[in-house]
Amino acid sequence: MDNWVIAMMLGASIFLGAVALFAFLWAIKNGQFDDEEKFLNAAKFDGEDELNDAVNLEKRKEELKKSYRPE
Amino acid sequence: MSDKVLCTHCHLEFNESVMIVDGEHYFCCSGCQGVFHLLSDEGLDTFYEKSNNVSLTPLTHQYDDSSNFNADAFYDKFVKTNSDGFKEVSLIIEGIHCSACVWLNEKALHKMDGVIEANINFTNNKATIVWADEVVKLSKIIDMIRSIGYNAFAYDASIQESHANRERKDYYLKMAVAIFASMNIMWIAVAQYAGYFSGITQDIKTILNIAEGILATPVLFYSGWVFFRGAYYGLKTKVVNMDLLVASGASLTYLYSIYITLLEDGEAYFDSVSMIITFVLIGKFLEVISKKNAADTLDVIGKHIPSEVNIVKNGSVISCKLDDVGVGDIVVVSSGEKVLLDGEIIKGAGSFDESNLTGESEPIFKSKGQNVISGTTSINADIHFRATKDFEHSTLSNLVTLLESAINKKPRIQQIANRLSEHFSSAILILSFLTFLFWLIFGNSFETSFMIGISVIIIACPCALALATPVATLVGLSLGAKRGILFKEAAQLETMAKVDTLVLDKTGTITVGKPEVIKEHIYEEFDKKLLYSLVKASNHPVASGIYEHLKKRDENLVDIIFDEFTQIPASGISAIYKKQEILGGNKKLINDNCIEIDFSSDNTLFYFAVNKKIVAIYELSDKIKDGAKELVDNLLKRGIQTIMLTGDNEHVAKKVANEVGITSYVYEQTPENKAEYINKLHQDSKRVVMVGDGVNDILALAYADIGIVMGSGSDIAVEVSDVVLLDDSLKSLQDAFKISRTTFGLIKQNFGISLVYNGVTIPLAMAGYVIPLVAAISMSVSSLLVVGNSMRIRWKWNKG
Repeated sequence: MDNWVIAMMLGASIFLGAVALFAFLWAIKNGQFDDEEKFLNAAKFDGEDELNDAVNLEKRKEELKKSYRPE
Repeated sequence: MSDKVLCTHCHLEFNESVMIVDGEHYFCCSGCQGVFHLLSDEGLDTFYEKSNNVSLTPLTHQYDDSSNFNADAFYDKFVKTNSDGFKEVSLIIEGIHCSACVWLNEKALHKMDGVIEANINFTNNKATIVWADEVVKLSKIIDMIRSIGYNAFAYDASIQESHANRERKDYYLKMAVAIFASMNIMWIAVAQYAGYFSGITQDIKTILNIAEGILATPVLFYSGWVFFRGAYYGLKTKVVNMDLLVASGASLTYLYSIYITLLEDGEAYFDSVSMIITFVLIGKFLEVISKKNAADTLDVIGKHIPSEVNIVKNGSVISCKLDDVGVGDIVVVSSGEKVLLDGEIIKGAGSFDESNLTGESEPIFKSKGQNVISGTTSINADIHFRATKDFEHSTLSNLVTLLESAINKKPRIQQIANRLSEHFSSAILILSFLTFLFWLIFGNSFETSFMIGISVIIIACPCALALATPVATLVGLSLGAKRGILFKEAAQLETMAKVDTLVLDKTGTITVGKPEVIKEHIYEEFDKKLLYSLVKASNHPVASGIYEHLKKRDENLVDIIFDEFTQIPASGISAIYKKQEILGGNKKLINDNCIEIDFSSDNTLFYFAVNKKIVAIYELSDKIKDGAKELVDNLLKRGIQTIMLTGDNEHVAKKVANEVGITSYVYEQTPENKAEYINKLHQDSKRVVMVGDGVNDILALAYADIGIVMGSGSDIAVEVSDVVLLDDSLKSLQDAFKISRTTFGLIKQNFGISLVYNGVTIPLAMAGYVIPLVAAISMSVSSLLVVGNSMRIRWKWNKG
C-alpha cells in the first residue's frame, strides 16, 4: 500500500471529525445546551409551529432593524 | 356533601357549588377564567395538554400598576441596550411549575409585536427578554406575563454571575476540543505502538507523527491556554504553581516531538502532550463547576423582601416604597403579611410568627403598645403600627447586610493540593534543569542532555498529582449524594474533615421542631370528633400536634360543623356544637373560664373541656430526633466538641442538652448572637461546623466554616448553606463527617501514591535509563493508580 493512501485516509477522517466538532462548538456557543432541562424537554414541544415561530422572530428582528435604524 | 371538581385552569379541586360555571368548564375564580379564555383566544390552549394537567397557582393576586417598569430609574438600573440597538432585560419569572409553563411564556411573548427574543431558563426561572422599545414598552410585556398567570420581577444580572457562566462555557469548548483531539491521537498512537513492536517504516511513522502533531496543536494552544495564563499570573506574583509545570512540561514535549518528527528519527510524544492537557483540564473543570455562586444566593434573598408597604396618610391607606417610609409613619399590616419595619403597635392585636428570628414555632401574641420586629410574619393580626426606624436601620435590613458581608467573607482553609503543588513544581523544574547541566558538563552532546532533561519533566507528569484531589472529591460527593447529603462545593469536603467544633441549633435540628403528644390523660369519655374538628380548624402548632396524634389513632374521624367558633388569641379555641360549650387551649383559657384544675407538668399542656368540665389533658413536647446522643458521643470520640445554640429559654435548653449529652450550651440567642458566637469560636482558632434549619440560623450558617442545613429548612437557609441534609436526620450528619474524613484521607493517599511513584521514576529518568515506551506507559499507570485507589474506597463504602 502506498503511503499516500494512509495520509489521505487520516486526513479525510480527521477532517470529517473536525466538521462535527465545529458543529458541536457552534451549538455550545449558541447557548443550545445552557439549560439542560429545557434542552431535553424541547424535543417534546418541537413542531412546525415552533419552527414557524422562530422564522417569524428572525424576520421581525430584521424588519425592525431596517425600519428603525436605516444604515 | 357536594361533588368536587377541578378548576379547568389551575387544576385545584373545589366543591362544585363554589365554582364559576362557564359552558362545560369550571373555574375557581375569575382570574383563572380570564387566563383560560385568553389562552383559547390566542390559540395557546394546547398548554393544558403539554403541562400534563399539573396544578397551578390560581390568579387571586391583584398586581399593582406595571407602569413603574417604564420609569427611567428602572431602565437605568436593569435595562441594557444590546449591540443591535434593542433593549434587553433580565427577569425572574414566578410561578413556573413545568416545562410547559416555559413554553407558554415564551410563546405568549413571541406573539407580541416588538419582542425580538424571549428565553426562559427552566432550571433557575431566569428569563432574558430582548425587545424594540419603539414598538412595545416593557410594562406591556410584564402585563402579558401577569395576564397569563405568572409574575415577573427584574433582577440585576450581576457581572459576577454572567462571568461564572462564561467561564463554564469556555471550559466546555476547551474540553470538547481536547477530548476530540485526544481520542483521535489515541487511535493513531495504537498504530505507533503496534509499529514499535512489529516494525514500521520511517515514512509511515512520519505521516502518523504529522497527523498527531496537527491534532495536538489546538489542544496545547487552545485548550491548554488556561495553563499558560495561570503560569504567567503565578510567575507575576512570584509563585511556582502546578500550571507552570503543566505548561512547561507540555510545551517542551511538544517542541521536542516536532524536532523528532523533522529529524525523522526517534519517538515523538504528541500523545503525551494532549493527554496531560486533557486530564488536567478535566480536573480543573471539576473544581470550577463545583464552585458555589454567591450571586445566585443573594438574588434569592432579595426576592423574599417585598418592595412596598401600605401606610396611612391623611386618613387613607396608600402603598409606599419601603425605602420612603420614615420614622413616625403609620404602617398597616394585615394577617398573613410580613412585617418589614420595626415599630410600636397603635391599633389592633394578634399573633405573630417570630420563628425567623427566634427559631421557635410558637406564635407570640402582641397588642397595643408592644413592639413589632421586622422579619416576623403576622399570623392573624390586622394592626397599625408606628415605625420607630426606617428600613435601612431595621432589624431585617441589618440581617441582610450582615448576611451579604458574611457570604463574601467566608473563611477558606487553604487546600492541601495548592500547597503541595507549589513545592512539587519548583522541585521538578529545578531537578530537570540540574539533570540537563549535569549531563552537559560530563561531556555529552547538548541534544542528549536536553532530551534527558525533558524526560524528567515528562515522567514527573503532573497528571496523577492534578487528578488526586478532583477524583477523590468526586468519589466523596457521590457517596454523600447517595445518602441524601449534598455538598455544594467539592473543596468543602476537605474543609469539613479539618473541623473541630460542631455547633447545633436546637429546634428543628436536635429536636423535630414540632410539638408532639407524649401523654394523654382522659378523665371522661367524649366524642373524639369534637376535639378533632376543633384542632383541625386552628393552625397553632400545639393544635396541629394534637391533630396529627388523633389522625394517627383513627383515620376515620370526620369533620363536624360547629354552630359557633372563635379563636381566642394566645389562649385557645372555643366553640359551640349542639348547645355543648367546647373549650380547647392552655391554662389561661381554663382560668379565664373559671374552671378549677390542679395539674402541672414540664411539658406544654393542652386542656380540653366540654360544658366547663375538663375531659382530657394532653401533654406535648418537642421530641428529640433519633440518634442525637450517638452523634454527640461519636463526635467526641473523634475529637469534635459539640455546642448547642438556641433562642429558647434556659430551662428548655438545659433539659434538651442533658438528654442528648451536650455539656456546653448557650440559650436565648438572637440571630446576631449566634453569628457572634461563631466569630468568637473563630477567634479561638476553632474550625466550626454550624448546623441549623431556619432563617434565624442563616447568619451563623454563613459565618461558619461549613454551614449545614436540614433539607426541610427555609429556602434562604438552604441557599446560604454549604451542605444540605435531605432527610433531616442526625445519622446523615454523622455520615457527612465520616465521608469528609474518608475523602480527605483519600486525597492524602493519592498524593502519597503519586509522590512515591515519582520518587522511583524521576531518579531513573535523571540517570537516563528511561526508554520512550516506559515514559509513555508510566504516565498512564500513575493516573490509573490514583483513580483506582479512589474507586477502591467507593467500593468499600458501598459494601459496608
